[in-house]
Amino acid sequence: MSVESMQAIGVETGGTVTTSKKAIVLNVSREKVPEACAKVAAMPGFYHLSTITALDLGEQIAVMYHFWKGKTFAVVKTLVPKSDARIPSITPAVPAAVFYEAEVKDLMGVFFDGNPYMKGRFVLPDEYPTDAPAPLRKEADPAKIRKMLKLE
Amino acid sequence: MSDNTEGPHYTESSAGLMEYSAESAMPFGPVHPSLKEPEYFKLILEGERIVQVMPRIGYVHRGIERAAQDRTWVKNVYLVERICGICSFSHSLAYTQGVENLTPFEIPKRGKYLRTVVHELERIHSHLLWLGLIGHWAGFDTLFMWIWKDREHSLDLLEAITGNRVNKSYSTIGGVRKDLPDGMAEKLKTEAGFIEKRLDYYEGLMSSEETFTIRTRGMGRINQEVTRRLSTVGPLLRCTGISRDIRVEDPYAAYDEVIPEVMTSNDGDIASLVTIRLDEARDSCRMIKEAVDKMPSGDFKVNIPRAIPAGESMFHVEAPRGELFYYVKSAGGSTPERVKIRTSTMANILTGVEMLKGHTLADVPVVLTGMDPCFGCMDRVAVLEVDKGKEWSIGGEALRRYGIDYYSKRRGNK
Amino acid sequence: MASFRSGLTAWARKRSIWVFHVNAASCNGCDIEILAALTPKYDAERLGVELVPSPRHADVLLVTGTMNPLMKDRLKTVYDQMPEPRLVVAIGACALGGGVMRDCYNAGHGIDTLIPVDLYIPGCPPNPEGIIYGILKLVTGIPDKPEEAQQVVS
Repeated sequence: MSVESMQAIGVETGGTVTTSKKAIVLNVSREKVPEACAKVAAMPGFYHLSTITALDLGEQIAVMYHFWKGKTFAVVKTLVPKSDARIPSITPAVPAAVFYEAEVKDLMGVFFDGNPYMKGRFVLPDEYPTDAPAPLRKEADPAKIRKMLKLE
Repeated sequence: MSDNTEGPHYTESSAGLMEYSAESAMPFGPVHPSLKEPEYFKLILEGERIVQVMPRIGYVHRGIERAAQDRTWVKNVYLVERICGICSFSHSLAYTQGVENLTPFEIPKRGKYLRTVVHELERIHSHLLWLGLIGHWAGFDTLFMWIWKDREHSLDLLEAITGNRVNKSYSTIGGVRKDLPDGMAEKLKTEAGFIEKRLDYYEGLMSSEETFTIRTRGMGRINQEVTRRLSTVGPLLRCTGISRDIRVEDPYAAYDEVIPEVMTSNDGDIASLVTIRLDEARDSCRMIKEAVDKMPSGDFKVNIPRAIPAGESMFHVEAPRGELFYYVKSAGGSTPERVKIRTSTMANILTGVEMLKGHTLADVPVVLTGMDPCFGCMDRVAVLEVDKGKEWSIGGEALRRYGIDYYSKRRGNK
Repeated sequence: MASFRSGLTAWARKRSIWVFHVNAASCNGCDIEILAALTPKYDAERLGVELVPSPRHADVLLVTGTMNPLMKDRLKTVYDQMPEPRLVVAIGACALGGGVMRDCYNAGHGIDTLIPVDLYIPGCPPNPEGIIYGILKLVTGIPDKPEEAQQVVS
């Protein structure tokens, strides 16, 4: 698994590749995420999805899919605007992503179209209001959440 | 009912992904007293067999990732190790190494070796805990008591080295907190030898005791197709024949010099998980002895300034249950911007669900414990008998006794 | 609680304490130490302590964890199902007042906001010896006046 093969996928999906100490990052647009993830997962050797991470960057949310192929992480990264936080789900090609996407939906409020766990709550309690900001977003305040959940 | 030497097989008809409809998004049933906590499972039975399982997690969700953003780098070590009481050192190790990767500092060799020793001691204590628990759930309480008595040896060692049995806070950003006490090196070797001998004895016991083997052989069978599809981690992955271990693939601490042996099996059932974990615990004893012999002298820690440079770092370790993944992002300040944690049990829940399909209610305790949820996670189980239209619930201990009675009646009828 | 201390019943109850354990969002550290207290090295069973499968059989309720919203109702139901006389022990820093998770958004401030607690055992986690000491102190040393009922074991 090398930078060249990731760059080849980058060419096919219109993404750019950056490297760091332990990871090769492929930046793609959100529509291309399922295709890029399917291609990374199909690369020779063993594919393993470690997890999916979401970062609140202010106006945007970065979603990173961490694949481990032995020696380096292959990360597929995309940015979505906070006001329209939706990404097509990669579960048809990578079934392991089901729970990770559900967790990101609960904690960061990003909706994954096509994931069967998008209704109801996954890790949060059911009484967490649907109109409250997702807890890991910058605008969410733990003290307010505690009051909402009546935890004082 | 097939003869148990064959065991129920993984059914190809299951799609693998559950339908999670809006109705089942509510808490299952009226209020249920929950025993040992999280992961509430709803089992859907047809006749005697489980056809579908719907887990509901979140019972231990406390909001640690968010709290980690409000604490300094060092204070987070104390927060993060309390995510799980069994693999607490693995959490602090992954976190501290993730943070150290953001800095240009290199940890001294002695610190790495000391981390390896405590990491392996934790693996021994965790596997012994699991071996005792699987005995307990299968009705073999004597085994449970004996193994936990021997487990105390590893906990005494941990207490002597780090100061605490459970939440050790031994790894710090820059190395370890303190050095080995005098005479500890010899004691480590003696105790590791003692535990190795006891493990040999338990291996003989667990493979020959029939009341135990009929409940573990052929149970919870999975294969490589399942583990590849669901990105399983840990012994559950290795029991299907895939030889992957983070300590070997991506060596951290002193694992490039004290090399673990990766234990695999091709059977994919609970009995093979028993063998794998037992072998891993024995290998840990071997590694502790080797690490003590090879340990270099010198510093055990390096001083790292409190403000960590900006950047992002991904780090994973092989916790006793599998790959534990940490993503740490720094904005250059005294607190992290983001800490993302993916525990090994989260990666294995769907695999556990696959293991359950096709089994009867009596096998549920053993099969679920086989996936090694972070301690007795399955305690509250709801059962839905589709063809009879009945829904009822049963607690963990009652389910355990049901399983024991079920199998003792079967043996009586043979 | 007075009936716990008087007469033959009380004498018998003190020597046969049946406990039921509830984990209300704990990291499992305290739970493992409770189980370790029942295993041969610390052996609470020689004192008559037994872990039972149902709250309806129990005398003493052991609670660990900070109690998050999902566990609140369940803990209350378990408590209500216990027959009197019943005692509640909060084990570990989290059950005492939230512990290290105190400011987390989904963690409560300990269990005594929900059910009355008779004994607190601090520690993170407390030693099995501490747990046994606490349970024994609770059962043998209950004062008659309810105001003095809450003790802290250290």
